[in-house]
Amino acid sequence: MERTEFKTHISEQLNRNLEDLFNLVLEMGGLVERQLENAVKALSNGDVEMAKEVLVIDRLINKEEVEIDRLCASVLARQQPTASDLRLIIMAIRIAVDLERMGDEVTKTAKLVVKLSDKGVACPDLPGYAELLEISNTANAMLKQVLNAFARLDLSEVIQILDEEERMDQLLKVAIAKVVDGFHVAQINPECLLEMVYALKASERVTDHAANIAESVVYLVEGRDIRNIDPQKLTEFLNNLK
Amino acid sequence: MFSSGVKRELTWIVTTLWALLFFCWLTDWWIEGFVFYLLFYIARQLWSMRKFEKWMEGGTQAAFPPASGLWSELTYLVSRKQRALEKHADLQFYKSEQFKAASMLIPDAIVSLDQQNHIEWFNATSEKILELRRQDVGRKIEGLIRQPQFIEYLKAQSYQKSLTIHSLQGVQRTFRIKIIPYFDNHKLLIVRDITDLYNMAQIRRDFIANASHELRTPLTVLKGYLEAMIDTPGPHQDMWLPALQNMENQSERMQAILEDLLTLSKMESETITAKEVMVDVPGILKKLHTEAEQLSQGQHDFEFAVDDTLLIKGHPEPLKSVFMNLVSNAVRYTPAGGKISVRWYHDAKGAHFAVTDTGIGIAREHIPRLTERFYRVDTARSRATGGTGLGLAIVKHILERYNAKLHVDSLIGKGSTFRCDFPLQRVQVSEAANE
Repeated sequence: MERTEFKTHISEQLNRNLEDLFNLVLEMGGLVERQLENAVKALSNGDVEMAKEVLVIDRLINKEEVEIDRLCASVLARQQPTASDLRLIIMAIRIAVDLERMGDEVTKTAKLVVKLSDKGVACPDLPGYAELLEISNTANAMLKQVLNAFARLDLSEVIQILDEEERMDQLLKVAIAKVVDGFHVAQINPECLLEMVYALKASERVTDHAANIAESVVYLVEGRDIRNIDPQKLTEFLNNLK
Repeated sequence: MFSSGVKRELTWIVTTLWALLFFCWLTDWWIEGFVFYLLFYIARQLWSMRKFEKWMEGGTQAAFPPASGLWSELTYLVSRKQRALEKHADLQFYKSEQFKAASMLIPDAIVSLDQQNHIEWFNATSEKILELRRQDVGRKIEGLIRQPQFIEYLKAQSYQKSLTIHSLQGVQRTFRIKIIPYFDNHKLLIVRDITDLYNMAQIRRDFIANASHELRTPLTVLKGYLEAMIDTPGPHQDMWLPALQNMENQSERMQAILEDLLTLSKMESETITAKEVMVDVPGILKKLHTEAEQLSQGQHDFEFAVDDTLLIKGHPEPLKSVFMNLVSNAVRYTPAGGKISVRWYHDAKGAHFAVTDTGIGIAREHIPRLTERFYRVDTARSRATGGTGLGLAIVKHILERYNAKLHVDSLIGKGSTFRCDFPLQRVQVSEAANE
């Protein structure tokens, strides 16, 4: 799919709808990026206001998803697109779902910050804090990369995104082990630790969703589904792209 | 008489006709000769046309232009014109390249957008700040800068104001974004990194606020002891009373300065979040009248002309301090026996608050600098009158918040007029009071 401008169709309406769709998805991505950024800030400064803003943005993201679904349904019903246009619509729906899930997961980190401030516990004292911050930061970077890949229809960074996702899985294991050790220490409130586990899990899920979006972008550009193909073939395929 | 092309053609025809006549005279094939000549002439024209067309199309090196009669002249004219055009185009290209090179070097990120916000071109700094790449030309800007605030600003279409954001493309720095419409419906997006400026202003504000706050406590202690010393009777009174009173006066002055500094820094940093209400300006001015009389201790003649129906939208406290500052300035700089008139009125442009005095006046060159902090027209005299040097700075900051303007008219020796112009949107003339 080689396209910089949506002027390939005789139907003005279809061109416009497809372009709107493309932009809506990116706009929604922008909101999630903002949310992740705020979550990281809230986490590192213990800023409750920021954390609450994260929850507000989540509602905006949910609205945006409904809007994307509506537009996709109307294009499918009215114009019956095929080939790359059809792929764009299917992937827009998938990416929107992924982004919406991401938004939900990010709120868990925000809730951790709110909870800890209620209990009067400083975030950095909890085990797994450093890992949580690392995962959130990486998630943020991954999201940015994957949205750029989508905006530019450029697959050169996909391989990096998939590698990062693997690394985050490992990091999560390490972090969970640390938190489990924390349960044996008497002076740490187990409720906070539990909240930390949720937040860690959620942040790792965010990176998974970013990887999913990367796969969707590959499908959109190349028309090839790279889900569940064995790693060796995948690397070969991605290397051939360059 | 004839143009050179036609002349050439005629020459060719005459020459060939002579040859034809000679041929016909020799062979006596007059009719056949002339028919053949006519056909030959038409064929030659068609052939030349074809050659000329080929040459104009260009492409192959093998295409030569026709070289006889009218056609050779045409060829010559066309190629001359073309050379001139090429030269002109070269010059234009050189100029535009030069301009482009200059715009590349500007330290702000500059991106040109067309009507639908597609990127047309951008300078080298944009690659760094906005992380744009060469292949992004033709893409929509919203897809690449996804910051929600930016998209809102872009969609709002009101580009008089600039946008300040604290993170861009994942970088936590402060940027000022401005969009300028230009060149039929195109837009110029300018992004400047103002982190250093922003931090500096922040540090300055914090410093002033902290310093004034920290100085207040020791001053209060000093003042307390001074008061106690003045009030205690004893032999020390005869010798030290004047000195102690002077010290008390000065410490009071210092306290006033600190209070003003605190107000000022609060005005600068805080965005007032309280809801704006209709402020009862006539009521404030009534109270102000009595306060002014006390301040002047009967030395001045006051005249208050207040429109009782005129209210404006805002916050009562800051507005009160604007009015108080202007009136107390008038009292301070008007010699005893002078006249001070205060007017509160409205016209087609908005509401106005004017204080006119018959004081010493201000020289023209000082007027633009009056609202600077601690700016003094005459240092020695100002100290004597007990001002803090911050009054007008406070006035300016408050008025800025309400989009109002301070206007100063003054003649040395005659007096001055300080006028605040409030915009029409804030004005309300209450009907109830009219009846």
